[in-house]
Amino acid sequence: MNTVKTKQTGILSVALIGFLVSAGLVLDNLAQYGHAALNTNNLGISWGFPIVVYDYFLLTSTGLAMLASLAIVFGGETFRPVIKRAVWLALAGLAGGVAVLFLELGHPLRALWAIPFSFAFSSPLYWKVMCVSFYVLSLLILMARMLKSHWTIAELRINGIVTLVLALGVTSIAGVVYGSQSFRPFWASGDIPIAFIFESLLGGLAFIFFFTYLAYAFNPAALPTGVKRLFTGPLPRLLALAIFVHLLFVLARMASGLYGNLEGLQVWHHVATSPLFYAEILLGLVLPLVLLMRPGTRNNPWVQMLASFLVMNALLVSRYEYILGGQLVPMFKGAWAPALLSYFPSPTEWLMLLIAIFLSNTFNALGELFLGLSSEGDPSARVEPEPLGAQWGEGGERLAS
Amino acid sequence: MAKWGMVIDLDKCTGCQACTTACSMENNRLPGENWQDVLFYHEGTYPNVKLMWFPRPCMHCENPSCVSVCPTKATYKDPHGGFVLMDWNRCIGCKYCQVACPYGVRFYVDEKAPVQPDIRTVFPSADGRVWDPPYRGPQDDPGRGIGIQPHGVVSKCTFCYHRVSKAPAGIADLDEDIPALKEYVPACVRTCAPKARFFGDLDNPESTVNKLIADKSGVRLKDETGNKPQVYYLSGGAAASVPSLRSMTPSDPA
Repeated sequence: MNTVKTKQTGILSVALIGFLVSAGLVLDNLAQYGHAALNTNNLGISWGFPIVVYDYFLLTSTGLAMLASLAIVFGGETFRPVIKRAVWLALAGLAGGVAVLFLELGHPLRALWAIPFSFAFSSPLYWKVMCVSFYVLSLLILMARMLKSHWTIAELRINGIVTLVLALGVTSIAGVVYGSQSFRPFWASGDIPIAFIFESLLGGLAFIFFFTYLAYAFNPAALPTGVKRLFTGPLPRLLALAIFVHLLFVLARMASGLYGNLEGLQVWHHVATSPLFYAEILLGLVLPLVLLMRPGTRNNPWVQMLASFLVMNALLVSRYEYILGGQLVPMFKGAWAPALLSYFPSPTEWLMLLIAIFLSNTFNALGELFLGLSSEGDPSARVEPEPLGAQWGEGGERLAS
Repeated sequence: MAKWGMVIDLDKCTGCQACTTACSMENNRLPGENWQDVLFYHEGTYPNVKLMWFPRPCMHCENPSCVSVCPTKATYKDPHGGFVLMDWNRCIGCKYCQVACPYGVRFYVDEKAPVQPDIRTVFPSADGRVWDPPYRGPQDDPGRGIGIQPHGVVSKCTFCYHRVSKAPAGIADLDEDIPALKEYVPACVRTCAPKARFFGDLDNPESTVNKLIADKSGVRLKDETGNKPQVYYLSGGAAASVPSLRSMTPSDPA
């Protein structure tokens, strides 16, 4: 067994033990206290940290699926070395998120039949669940077709289109769930689904960087040529661009919120003065953006690992601030809620985050060990990308093909 | 069929919270699970401070956002009377309805107890319900969210469906002062000492609730959400008032 395999086995062991311990503790707490083990309440904090974790992993999953399916649909041969890993990671991440959702729901097993057979067409959650179901199916089919050693991008195109549409659908509907709450101006906006799409793409890019390095035990020298080419080519630039777009969305919403008078937007004064927000913006987004924009550091593997890790954390903070921020202003002032509501995750809720992390990593390590996630498919079917600028003359004129 | 509605005269409400207590007793609610609450708050700064209060039941909206967002149709609009009810056999406890209700009148009963001791542990239930109170009302209809609820579901005011639905057909008003009707009157209305609450058929032009809304310019809370509450508030009675409707729908075009 080579070093990388040994380390993957180690990751699998740690993840599995971590999952079993955290799941055991959470189940014990829930058995003892029920949902009173969570810090949500009837004053207005209905959706707490478990929903943050669920949405974070769901959107990261759709971001990874978008990345893989965009490469498949548009023939992105350069991306071929990470397509299979992205698809499996999308499934692994979703497993972690859904596990937490099931622990948060009052009746998770009932949800399995009550949602699909309710035909509640007016509910965004109905459409979200239906879309997620088909999305999982589509990812599984895609993964199954990539299990054979000689898969080609061309033969996956229809699957890729379906997956892309479903990933966009899931992400957009997730945005509608919040964006349609007109009386919660911190959430409500018609462009929230678009913001979610960019946010999930950012998550997908950060995850593919981090977990590809993890697959090679954080040893840059072990990366295959195709991965190196991708990681020193378009991918870090795409990550930088995605950080920039996400930053624009966050800062634009903050500016509107700070200057807006609408009841409910005052929570921005609370959010924009919290250390967590500054950590998210400065450490989690601006620092990686600067590092990835500088030609001297952009292609450095350690910088890429650091940047992707920081972005992954920033997105979790961002999701936390968004979901909780929309609930901090009570519907009515009064004796029960005289000011902004307060919330901090309980130990059980933190353990739920660990469940998602460890379960996703367990699935991911299993994939790395047994599904050959580094497989690039049929080498003879590969269309080598033209070097940048090959189709342009020295004077900038386009050459005839 | 009647479209039941409530009128609350804020000029008469003394903030005594008898409605809250009566509702809790009638429906076996937990402490803090106030289907019918009176919110106390203050306005101004010292020394010019005024203590204010605001009675707030479920609005049983005509176009309820809680109903439209429910992914399992566990919360629904009853076509016979306009009640917004819960089917505890279908509720999955996702709390989307709580998030989508602009009035904050829905409760997830497995949350931490707001007051100690936690009465759920003092009177534990053996049959899978949240608790087993020493006094328990006879009504039990989980399909309408009436009775002691099971774990993992959302609960809400039913407009005392178990009473109102038994009222004789064609009645314009359910007035506690009419002996023949008092058993059909919602608990909060029946107990209201200053008679600040009125309950009747909003579809009947002869009902007292309709006359009060017309004569005293009744307004609906947060009407800009488009939920169109079936609870109206009276305040002052002057001709000038808050515009009661902003949303335009096919059934109500202007």
